Amino acid sequence: MKKLYPYSPLIVFFILILFFARQLILKEDPSELPSVLLEERFPEIILKKLDGYKLFSVTNLMNANSPSLVNIWSSWCVPCKIEHEFLMRMSSDHNILIYGINYKDKKEDALKVLDLNDNPFYAIGVDLDGLQSINLGVYGVPETFIIDSDGNIRYRHVGPILEYDMQNIILPILGKIMREKI
Amino acid sequence: MKTIIKFIFCIFFIVPVVFAENNINDKNQDAYDLYKELRCLVCQNQSLLESNAPLALDLRKVVLDKLEEGYTKEDVKTFLVERYGEFILLKPKYSVQNILLWFGPIFFLLIGVFVTFIFLRKQSMNKEEGISLSKEEADNLKKILDNNVP
Repeated sequence: MKKLYPYSPLIVFFILILFFARQLILKEDPSELPSVLLEERFPEIILKKLDGYKLFSVTNLMNANSPSLVNIWSSWCVPCKIEHEFLMRMSSDHNILIYGINYKDKKEDALKVLDLNDNPFYAIGVDLDGLQSINLGVYGVPETFIIDSDGNIRYRHVGPILEYDMQNIILPILGKIMREKI
Repeated sequence: MKTIIKFIFCIFFIVPVVFAENNINDKNQDAYDLYKELRCLVCQNQSLLESNAPLALDLRKVVLDKLEEGYTKEDVKTFLVERYGEFILLKPKYSVQNILLWFGPIFFLLIGVFVTFIFLRKQSMNKEEGISLSKEEADNLKKILDNNVP
């Protein structure tokens, strides 16, 4: 014990290194918030219809046949544009139901984006003033929720879904949920 | 004439102050307090009051609406914590989960005080040991001192 005494600052130093290394190695972004609603029912939110598109209502999520994605997007959001391609691939290649929540957008701009690029969404709901999305705990677009077939939130992805996220996060979680059901 | 111009000039400085006062008075005091206690989730170390992010403005509106609906300050906080988690509170709750957060620093301070105490006591004990001489040394010392007596 007495011999360790002079080394105590060094020991403390290494403990601190371990403590900080955890953050460095795990590469978790501490500014990303986990959803408080995980494993809970998708909240009752009321959205408006976007002309020419099916209206997304929360009842769509309950007693569904398969898990689905709810994507919060906007025409003014640049990461959403990058993400669009991957949403398209998921809806067409993998047959995943994606519901869109159009967040604080102008109707014309939203329609223009969907005309210009393809539409990955099965149904869309409009949240004009962004107050409905607050019930979901949304704090930035894009955000994507994975909902299981009972309407419970299983995962929240903050930021755009890119190739890596799609292959390593979203699709595996969807697969896992589907296997649970069998 | 000069005085009048000076007077008019001064009015320009008064106007913004008057507006600032009005802005604060218009707000419900409870809402104002809540703005200060809630975190903007976009600019994460600013409160709702300081932040100009669109989400902060929306959340401010939600706070006001809820207060008008008759929610108490605590109710509003619970409402937001249910949606965004405890992270939205700038001051963490006093709860079992947060024990380390609140009492960790005091705990480490006590450890420090304890270690320092032991260290100092040991040092002073060493000193005492150093002062006492072995029998041989004491004899030697006595001899030297005796020889030097004039």
